[in-house]
Amino acid sequence: MIHISNILLALILLSVLLSLRSNRLMALVKLMAFQGIVVSAVPLLLETAHGVNFNLFMFFLLLVAVKGVLIPGLMYRAVKWVVVDREVEPIIGYHASLFAGLILIVFSVYVTNHLQLAMFSESHKLLLVTAITTMGAGLVLLMARRKAITQVIGYLMMENGIYLIGTALAKQVHTQYVVEFAVLLDLTVAVLVMGIVVNDINHTFDDVDTALMGQLKD
Amino acid sequence: MLQLVFSVPIIAGSAVFFLPVKLGRSILMATAFLHSSITALEWFHVTGPLQTKYFSNTPEGMLVLAIMSFLFLFISLYTVFYMAEVEMSKEPIFNASMMLFLGAMSMVAVADHIIMLWVAVEATTLTSAPLIFVHRSKESLEATWKYVLICSVGIALALLGCFFIIFSMEMVNIHVPISFSSLNVVATQLNPVWLKAGFVFIVIGYGTKMGLAPMHTWLPDAHSEAPSPASALLSGALLNCAFLGVYRCHQLMFNAGLGAYSSNVLIAFGLTSMLVSAVFILNQTDYKRMLAYSSIENMGIIAVGIGIGGIAAFGAMLHMIHHSLVKSSLFLSAGNILLGYGTKSIAKTRGMLKLFPRTALTFFAGFAGISGFPPFGLFISEFLIILGAIKAGRYVAISIFILSLILIFAGASRLAMQMIFSDRENVEQLIPERWKRTLPPIVLLLTSLALVIWLPDSLYLTIQNAISSIGGTVNG
Repeated sequence: MIHISNILLALILLSVLLSLRSNRLMALVKLMAFQGIVVSAVPLLLETAHGVNFNLFMFFLLLVAVKGVLIPGLMYRAVKWVVVDREVEPIIGYHASLFAGLILIVFSVYVTNHLQLAMFSESHKLLLVTAITTMGAGLVLLMARRKAITQVIGYLMMENGIYLIGTALAKQVHTQYVVEFAVLLDLTVAVLVMGIVVNDINHTFDDVDTALMGQLKD
Repeated sequence: MLQLVFSVPIIAGSAVFFLPVKLGRSILMATAFLHSSITALEWFHVTGPLQTKYFSNTPEGMLVLAIMSFLFLFISLYTVFYMAEVEMSKEPIFNASMMLFLGAMSMVAVADHIIMLWVAVEATTLTSAPLIFVHRSKESLEATWKYVLICSVGIALALLGCFFIIFSMEMVNIHVPISFSSLNVVATQLNPVWLKAGFVFIVIGYGTKMGLAPMHTWLPDAHSEAPSPASALLSGALLNCAFLGVYRCHQLMFNAGLGAYSSNVLIAFGLTSMLVSAVFILNQTDYKRMLAYSSIENMGIIAVGIGIGGIAAFGAMLHMIHHSLVKSSLFLSAGNILLGYGTKSIAKTRGMLKLFPRTALTFFAGFAGISGFPPFGLFISEFLIILGAIKAGRYVAISIFILSLILIFAGASRLAMQMIFSDRENVEQLIPERWKRTLPPIVLLLTSLALVIWLPDSLYLTIQNAISSIGGTVNG
């Protein structure tokens, strides 16, 4: 039986692979919005077995608003301000990144199978596979791209992955809305601050290429 | 009451955005006074020990909070005089960020809930970022970008570590609140494998913030490009907060019977930091970068001391106090030097003794203090750490420790002597030194000296309480 949460996980993996392949900043931002919404929905659908309570649903709406609308909106504005829309000459090429993504999936399956989590159901294991892949792909984006905006997107993707790992492992966190709200607030402010810095980098260097910044070294 | 300690600066900091620019400096001073009085109330337990769902006043937290509050008082005093002499285009943002930063750091000091601690540490990164790029030069932008990105990614890994620790509890079907105080009670029942994994991720995450090598790469850039009062606050208060995060998890590991493992991890990271800073300090051309590398070294010393335990843990806590006082004083002196010469280059900073005698004195005294010369506290703390290591039989670790200390002293003393005692060669004095700017660094140094001569009982007891949970004692 194909559970609906498995479809969501497949969609997340698809968005991860697409973002590793994509060379347009605007397309990346849209992918992040999509990924944000799907990631927010995962805890909701995993908990359906126990029945969805009102708080969980309200929190889902908040998550979608922040991860799917607010943060991509901030990124959208940042991309609009920046003149260039393409990632030129990435440090690791697109095909190589895509290949790295595929290897990451294999690696995550291997790791998950060796963790000996007897108490986990199949869909929880799949969730863990997706989560580790998403986190790893975020790190790949962070290291393999030179544009500051793509690096922010890499950070967001990594954060999504860690959030999913939290969903799989630390269920108790998701019942403490104050804490989760605070984490979400941090994430939003982080993207806001990064957006401001990206904008200033663009003003000062006429580009958002981090390779241009190499003044400080020993 | 405990929540006041972080809510007051946060409210004041947010208010500054909406108030006239002129008021900013007075609000900064007022907040500093208010914060230190609230801290003093908490310190003497006027309000009694507190334990809420997310916050509690632990001895180690109070120690970090007290240092931070004391430093902030003098740093904000310095900031007011500093800003009177430099043109700062975004002064309201700077003032507001200083206060928000203080609020976030205070929240770290009193956080008890694992994730709340994480939230607060991440908040310190975000509130201090505007302090670094307030000048908006190419270099400061680069420093800010590195700082925000490296620290955010590092701290994201710490969140992963937090989830692992929570999972180590859920795996064995225990359900207690996920705060350090309640986890410490059930520590022995937690799953050790996941706990170890969680600890490693947390050390990597908070260690990035603390400046442990090899995750330290943001630190020299951020400390050298930030305006000097901000550098003093970053080095004196922020690094301690990150250390507190690591220390809390070390306590948990110790209670779970995995103290040997976490000690070794801390010693390994600590020694690496010391060696790395020894290598990089040798050929520094920028005196603020030199001080930044010295901070990496001192954080390494603290990590080693905590890792060794016993009397070395007492040494490490003393080291934290004295390092904060001396290093902030040095960064404030560096601010005076920067105002006077207009350059951060060691080669162009000549003849300080003749041009700026008082600054030369504070810089030299601070340098002697940070190198561990006897009248200052760092001598005692380093001595206690070495003593503790010999008692524990960790001869290899302590050999590397002493070797790094010698290398750093050799490298840094050459640079510092050159700045202070070299001849004056066609160097112009841009802004003359003023008493009000030289006084705060002097006060901080004198406090460090005073604490060597007389360690107040309440401070002594607090340190003892803080280290007793990792098996540290004063009597060795």
